[in-house]
Order: sequence, then structure tokens, then C-alpha cells
Amino acid sequence: MNAMTPLRSASRLSHSLTLRLALVFALLAFVSLALLGVALYRDLERELIHRDDIALITRIDQLRTFLNDSNTLDLIKAKPALFQNMMGNREALLTIGTPGQPPLLVVNPGNLTMPVLTPVAMDHRLTLDDVQHLPNVNGVPFSALAATIDSGDLGSLQVVTGRLMTERTAVLADYRLNVYLFATVAAILLALSGYVLVHRGLLPVRRLARHTQSIDVGNLNERLDSQGAPLELLPMIDAFNAMLDRLDKGFVQLGQVSTDMAHELRTPINNLLGETQVALQQNRSTDAYQQLLASNVEELERLARMLDNMLFLARTDPRSALRQRQELDAADEMQRMADYFEGPATDVGISINAQGSGLIWAEPMLLRRALANLCANAIKYGAPHSELCIHANPTADGIQVQVRNHGQTIPAQHLPRLFERFYRVDESRERSAQSNGLGLSIVATIMQLHNGACHVSSADGITCFELFFPARQQHE
Amino acid sequence: MPAITADRATLAPLMRPRSPTEPGRVSMNILVVEDEPKAGNYLLNGLQELGYTVNLARDGVDGLHLALEHDFDVIVLDVMMPKMDGWEVLRRLRKEADTPVLFLTARDDIADRIKGLELGADDYLIKPFSFAELVARLRTLTRRGPTREDEHLHVDDLQIDVLKRRVSRAGNRITLTNKEFALLHLFATHQGEVLSRSMIASRVWDMNFDSDTNVVDVAVRRLRLKIDDPFQLKLIHSVRGIGYRFDTQP
Repeated sequence: MNAMTPLRSASRLSHSLTLRLALVFALLAFVSLALLGVALYRDLERELIHRDDIALITRIDQLRTFLNDSNTLDLIKAKPALFQNMMGNREALLTIGTPGQPPLLVVNPGNLTMPVLTPVAMDHRLTLDDVQHLPNVNGVPFSALAATIDSGDLGSLQVVTGRLMTERTAVLADYRLNVYLFATVAAILLALSGYVLVHRGLLPVRRLARHTQSIDVGNLNERLDSQGAPLELLPMIDAFNAMLDRLDKGFVQLGQVSTDMAHELRTPINNLLGETQVALQQNRSTDAYQQLLASNVEELERLARMLDNMLFLARTDPRSALRQRQELDAADEMQRMADYFEGPATDVGISINAQGSGLIWAEPMLLRRALANLCANAIKYGAPHSELCIHANPTADGIQVQVRNHGQTIPAQHLPRLFERFYRVDESRERSAQSNGLGLSIVATIMQLHNGACHVSSADGITCFELFFPARQQHE
Repeated sequence: MPAITADRATLAPLMRPRSPTEPGRVSMNILVVEDEPKAGNYLLNGLQELGYTVNLARDGVDGLHLALEHDFDVIVLDVMMPKMDGWEVLRRLRKEADTPVLFLTARDDIADRIKGLELGADDYLIKPFSFAELVARLRTLTRRGPTREDEHLHVDDLQIDVLKRRVSRAGNRITLTNKEFALLHLFATHQGEVLSRSMIASRVWDMNFDSDTNVVDVAVRRLRLKIDDPFQLKLIHSVRGIGYRFDTQP
């Protein structure tokens, strides 16, 4: 099907819904997991710093107690290695000394550059705020606490304890990496599973597409199956099926019209052919030839009129058809119809009662054509010595034009189909040179062009055709 | 000039050829550009029989050549032609001459018609058209200057006072309805011309479409009843298959 090709190539150009949803899943998963990871990381970091700081404070507190004893100081001087071991690892730093003199003890296994710190006063109770954080010592964060300690006989000593956060940094870096890793893996997993799920979820759409593709002019009566389709697709399926209904009906009608038209053409063509062939059978008088030609002209005019009507019905572009649309005086137009049909009406003793008020927003030639078709019918089928009423009455949103005659009641089953092309109530009676069964469908088309409506009712010997023309809108 | 003359129609003419002595005769020099052989032939014959000088070109190139070489009163131009179509002929013609052009088209398309008129055509007819209609349009196109409305018209012993809307024949006053008067006035101002029913409907009632009614026939019958039936000389003549002619001669 050629019609499908542009659609298909368009979908290839535009984004895939599945891919887009999968990517959105992935992004959302990554962002939310990363955010969670960052929050947890911050928490952990804070906790670790807190613990380390407390450890530093505890150490100073211990030293405050410990160094109060001169024995201990001697011990420090005698066996500094003991203290170095006590500190445990290469990250710790401890100096004890008197200001202005070489330090009594330096435990600095990592050979760190000693930062210059202001010591906390002796009588000051140590808090977390006293711990100083240096972001970068030898490329690693460093926490330190300096305090002045009373050592009894040695006077006040300055103690600096610190810790290089290599381990903590490594733990946090690990943690960070894990957060990103987990977030990424989760995002990829979600993207994949999202892709699969959406792909599966769209299965009904693809099934519908396949089904739609199989519908052709030949099987327009087929409908899309809404069973098993997701709820969200039901409105689309229903709308599509409704469209198929309309198309199907239109196609049937179109086919019917073509058939009907071909049948309609048969009669005049048969007459032309037959009469002319018979005439040529032998030599005839001039008068006979003239008669034949005049008869041919009649048939040809009939054909031309039918052609004209068919083309009129086929041409339904409102913009060009309504180019001359204007507000017409209803009373004038009703009177014009009465004048036009006065002769034929008087011939059969029908009197025309024309009345109107207000304005008709219409293309003059189309309005007259519609009214003329209705009036011609009304006179043709009107009872002798009756009245034909042509009335125009303004309504709230437009104007109602009625063409009402007395005659035989049209059976109710015919009424809905009267405006169809070539439809005739009585096949045998109405096939004449004057009528081609298109008059009322032309009326319907004219009303459709005007966004109006046409309606027919027939009861108790009164048949009434009603045309509704909407009033002119502000923007028109 | 490659004048193509055709045999005179052997059929009894539906329209009476005008004699040169007849008053109101208009000599008309017409160029017909039409590639369809039958259509070209009948246009040539029909117009010649009416006493006009007619040249027929069978394609656009010849047509343009003739149109530029000679001085025609009016050109009938078919749109769909091989070699050079009517639009092209019209476009080139309009660069040099403003001869009135009536184009013939088989396409009942509003856009098509507008195109023709924008290119400088003066009128158009959609196929199929009635021959009488074509003649009437050609006459209108070649009528030079505004025609002064005659206040009084005389046809044989029929007198029409246009302003007072009074009609009398052989001295007898005849009362006509408005539409009957309009119809008679149309006939009297187109004396000798065949008027088609659709043209009458359009001029008298302003109904510009072929309606499936016998309105015109009924109106003519009623008019005859008043201006013809009581008198020896009939003025309104039916032309079989075409319409009506108003004339002192049958």
C-alpha cells in the first residue's frame, strides 16, 4: 500500500517511543540513585569526621591527665618508641614540647609538614569546634588539635595531635565510586527492562498497524479489533472504526452513483442511437430529418444538463462556490420564485403564496437553484387548484425557508432517501426528459455548502421541504 | 489567408441567414481556433451561414499566426490544443493585440475560468454549449461602444414604449405583466436572433442555470397569446431544438 509508505518513513525519522521511554527511565534511575548516594555519602562523611574529631579530643584529654605525672614525661624522654607504637599507625602525628624549645616528643612516622596551630588554652574544655581541618596536607585532608597542657613540675606543655585522613579519604572515594557504579548499573538495567517492557506494551499498537495495513478498498467492511487492546487505545480504535464506517458508506454510495449515472445515460443515448439509425435506414423528407435533429438536440440537452448537475455535485469546494455569498432580502427572493414559476403554476391551477422577512446569508445563484428545484418539484407533484407556499421565517440563529405543497403524501420510508442522487419515489412515473433524479441531491449539496440543513416531511397530503440557512457570523 | 471553406449545409437551416440588405446586420470577421475536426467544421459552417466571414485554424500555432497577421473582430479560442494550448496563444496574442477573445473550455473549473479572464480573455463558454449562445456572446463582444437604449421599438405594426412600458399592436393596446414585458423587450432588442431558453431565463428572471422546468415555454406561450394570436403576422417563432426567434419573417 503506497499510502503507508510516507507514514512509515516518517516514523523512522521521528524518535522511537520505546527508545525514548527507555532513556527517560535510565536517566531518572541514575539521577535518583545518584542523589540518594550523594545524600548517604554526605552522612557517612560527616559521621567519620565526627568520630575522628572525637578521637583527637579524647587523645588530648588523655594526655592532659597522663602528662600531669613527671614519671610519664621521663618515660617519654626515655622511650619515645613506646609512644610511637602507641599511636599505632603512620597517619598519626603527635608532638609534645615547650614553646621556644625543641620538642620533647615528636611522633611523625609519615614525615608530615607540621602545620602551625594556635593551641587551645589550658583551662578550656575541648569541643569539636576546636579541631582544625586542613583540606590539603601532602594532598590529603588533615585534622589536628593543639592544646596547652599543665604538666605539673615542667610547667605548661604544648601538645599537637593530628591525623592524616588517608584511610578515610580512601573509604569515602570507594563509597563514591560505588554510588556511581550502582547508579549506572541500575540505570542500564532499568533502561533495558524499560525498553523490553515498552516494546511489549506497544505490541497491540503494532498489531493494529498490521491490521490497518491490510484494510483496502476491497475489504472496507472490516473493523479493527478492540478486544485485548489496552484501554488507552480504545478511543483511537473506535474513532478509526467510525472513520471506516463513513468511508465504507461513502464508497458504497459512490459506486451506486456511478452505476446509477451509467443507467441514466442509457436512456438518452439509446434514444439518440435508435432514432438516428432508423432515420438513416432510408431517404426521408427534409422535415423528417429536421424532426430527428430536433429530437436529438432534446436528448443531448438532457445529457448536457445531467453532466452539468453531476459536475456540480462533484465540485464541493465551499470557498470557491460561496465567493458571491451575501445577505439577500428574503422577501425579494421569495417573490422572485413566485414570479419565475407563475406561468407553469397557473397552467395547473396552483396559486403561489410567497412571503418572507429577514435576510438570507447565501450565494444568490445557489439559493435560487435550490429553491427553483424545490418549487419545480412542488408544482410537478402538486394537486391541481391547490396552494404552493414559499415562506421564509427568521429564527434565532438563521432563517428557515419552507416550500410546502398539497399533493400525494410521500410514504415515510422514502423520506430519508429523497436527497440521495438518482433516488426516485416512483421509478416508472418520474423518468422524464425534465427530471434526472438529481434535483434534490443538488439542494442537499447546496445546503451543505452553506453549512445549513435540509429536511422534508410529508403527512396528510401536505409535503413540506425546509431549508435552514445559518445567519452571518461576525467573522464572515 | 488559408481560408478553409466548407460546403454549405445541405440540411434546412435552423437559423435564417441574414441578407446584407437587412437593417441591423453586423458584418463580423471571426477567427475560430479549434483542433477538434468536427467542432471546427460545425463552427465554421454555422457562423458562415449566419453571414459572417470565418477563418478556421486547426492548431494554436496557426491560430496565433493568423490572429497576429490579420485584423479580426473576435476570436473563438479552444483551450485544449496540441502544439500550443489556448492559454499560450492568448498570452502571446495579448502582447500585441487586444482583439476580443472568447475561449472554449471543457473543464468546468472556476480556477480555469479565472485564469482565462486574467490572461485577458473577454468571455468564455463551457463545453457543451449551445450554438445560439455562442452567437449571442459573439454579438455582444463585437458590439462597439455603449448601446443606447431605444425608447421606442417598432416591429412591423407592434409598438413598444420602453419608458412607459406600453405595448400596442395594430393600434390596439396590449396589457402585459412585468415579466411578459421584459420578455417582449428582450425579443424586440434581439430581433432576428435565436435566443436559447437558458439565455431567456437568465435575462428575464436572472436565473443563470439550466433548470428542469418549462418556465420559458409557458411564458412565451402566454406572450404569444397576447401579441401574436389575434394577428395575421406572427412575430415569435419556435426554432426547433434551440429556442425562439423574434422576427417579421418566418
